[in-house]
Amino acid sequence: MLQLLSFGRRSVGSSLSIYVKTNVGNTLSIDLDPKWEVKNVKEIVASQLGLKPEEVKIIFAGKELHDSITIEECDLGEQSFLHAVKRKPLKKKTDPRVSTVEEEVSQSAEGFKPLSETLMDLQLSEKERNEIHTKEARDRNRAHFFVYCGVCKSIRTGKLRVRCSACKEGAFTVERDPCCWEDVLDRRNGDPNFKPIGGQCETRDCVGGGHAEFYFKCAEHTPAPPPEVAQRISEDAVPLFLIKPNLRDIPCLACTEISNTVLVFPCEEGHVTCLECFHNYCISRLKERRFVFHPSDGYYTLSCPAGCPDSLITEAHHFRVLSESEYAQYQRFGAEEYVLQSGGVLCPQPGCGMGIIADPECRRIQCIGGCGFVFCRSCLQGYHIGECTEGTVAESANGGFEYNIDPERAAQARWDEASKVAIKVTTKPCPKCRTPTERDGPACIASKGIL
Amino acid sequence: MAATRRLQKELQDIRCSGLKSFRDIQVDDSNILSWQGLIVPDNSPYNKGAFRIEILFPAEYPFKPPKISFKTKIYHPNIDEKGQVCLPIISAENWKPATKTDQVIQALVALVNDPEPEHPLRADLAEEFLKDRKKFVKNAEEYTKKHSEKRPSD
Repeated sequence: MLQLLSFGRRSVGSSLSIYVKTNVGNTLSIDLDPKWEVKNVKEIVASQLGLKPEEVKIIFAGKELHDSITIEECDLGEQSFLHAVKRKPLKKKTDPRVSTVEEEVSQSAEGFKPLSETLMDLQLSEKERNEIHTKEARDRNRAHFFVYCGVCKSIRTGKLRVRCSACKEGAFTVERDPCCWEDVLDRRNGDPNFKPIGGQCETRDCVGGGHAEFYFKCAEHTPAPPPEVAQRISEDAVPLFLIKPNLRDIPCLACTEISNTVLVFPCEEGHVTCLECFHNYCISRLKERRFVFHPSDGYYTLSCPAGCPDSLITEAHHFRVLSESEYAQYQRFGAEEYVLQSGGVLCPQPGCGMGIIADPECRRIQCIGGCGFVFCRSCLQGYHIGECTEGTVAESANGGFEYNIDPERAAQARWDEASKVAIKVTTKPCPKCRTPTERDGPACIASKGIL
Repeated sequence: MAATRRLQKELQDIRCSGLKSFRDIQVDDSNILSWQGLIVPDNSPYNKGAFRIEILFPAEYPFKPPKISFKTKIYHPNIDEKGQVCLPIISAENWKPATKTDQVIQALVALVNDPEPEHPLRADLAEEFLKDRKKFVKNAEEYTKKHSEKRPSD
């Protein structure tokens, strides 16, 4: 009801509130009927800009949209941004009719369709792409992305968007559709051979020289209006490229069910689990603290549960399938493991556990920034001068002798010795506070914080 | 729960496959994580009886292996007096989530039929098995007669 009152222009049941950003810097907020065609949008925008509808180009997600495309087809969400730019004067010189006809012949209507319509799933091979002819197959194989959304704090379906790498604005058209994850993921830092997809930026102030920068948005929450560029970038979602729609109906290796969404491990065989089983897998490994470190990159991660070589997951956001508290535990374990791997120590004080990276030679360690405890690096007890007392350190002889007794016999005949030996055999030091704790038993109560 | 769904499927498959060497599978309706069944070996000296086993699946199944124990006493180098059995396929290091219970049972039946004295749980029986096979077979047959369950008639 509120909607109808505030819009008033047309009686629309499910209108879509979006922004149109022009290349001269102003932003219009308009409400669209999903049944409208791009042509109608041009009409509204043109009147606001003082241009003719034919002079306006509408760009969305890296593509110029054709007049006959309806808004529904564009995969627009609430508060989405369309970009309206004035056609370059170059085209205006010739008769506009002729030039459009020519362009349509050369590019066909395909080039004017939104990315969501033309983009096939990135997991398909060249051959599989060519075999898609029917509309059903096209719908089924349309690109689906899964992302970790920092706003929703969970795994969501995502949308692929494009912006200019130089000015970060969306008035940018791509030369070609991306066809594999490498095209889409920003791998410039890692791979010197990375060749970004080029394109044309239509923003007036753009310094130029930019290429297509792909990014992901959560498809399930409405961004807070009105987003500034900086904020929009911070709302970018992390693509989870191992999570895919199960186009090939592969059963999960754990539960053997065929589910709609699966995680494909980066092993050669591409083993598949459903997301529920992946969650269970993460939990069972987390409980045993059996995540591993990626040898070179330092990710705290898991490999394929079938034990395949070279199958470590390199994008830690996949572990966001874990609940908040489990993920926090994952992060803590990862951080602790990182400290230990780098030759650091963890503060042994119960409840502290601060990671400290100190000089390898230094034995006296103070927990700065944590609890302030000063301890010995070798025995993790409070700092002391001289040898550590733990282990087989000789007990000092106590003064004078009353009788002359064979020291070997005396050693065996000590009251406490038997229990000391028993303690040594049946216990191991608590990993946190070094208090002898029964083997196989639970961790020392003190360090669990019960006391 | 993933474990439940998978076990229901596995149980159905095993029941349908009609294994001769593993029969009489009993599963508590309220707890699919606990199975009992009868191992029916083909090889002497165990082919005169049948042996009840228990398979316990952890809640984390299939990411953690099931545990198997013998409920019937058996004279076997790889199975101890408490009924514990050392089966590499379900050890924590070797376990693969894709391993099916049916494969585990096949491995267990194979181990019962052909003891592996190289990795014994009962060193005394392994030694007897290696040094005096006749005596081992005689003891095992007697033990089987005395303790094992009746073999199914078909």
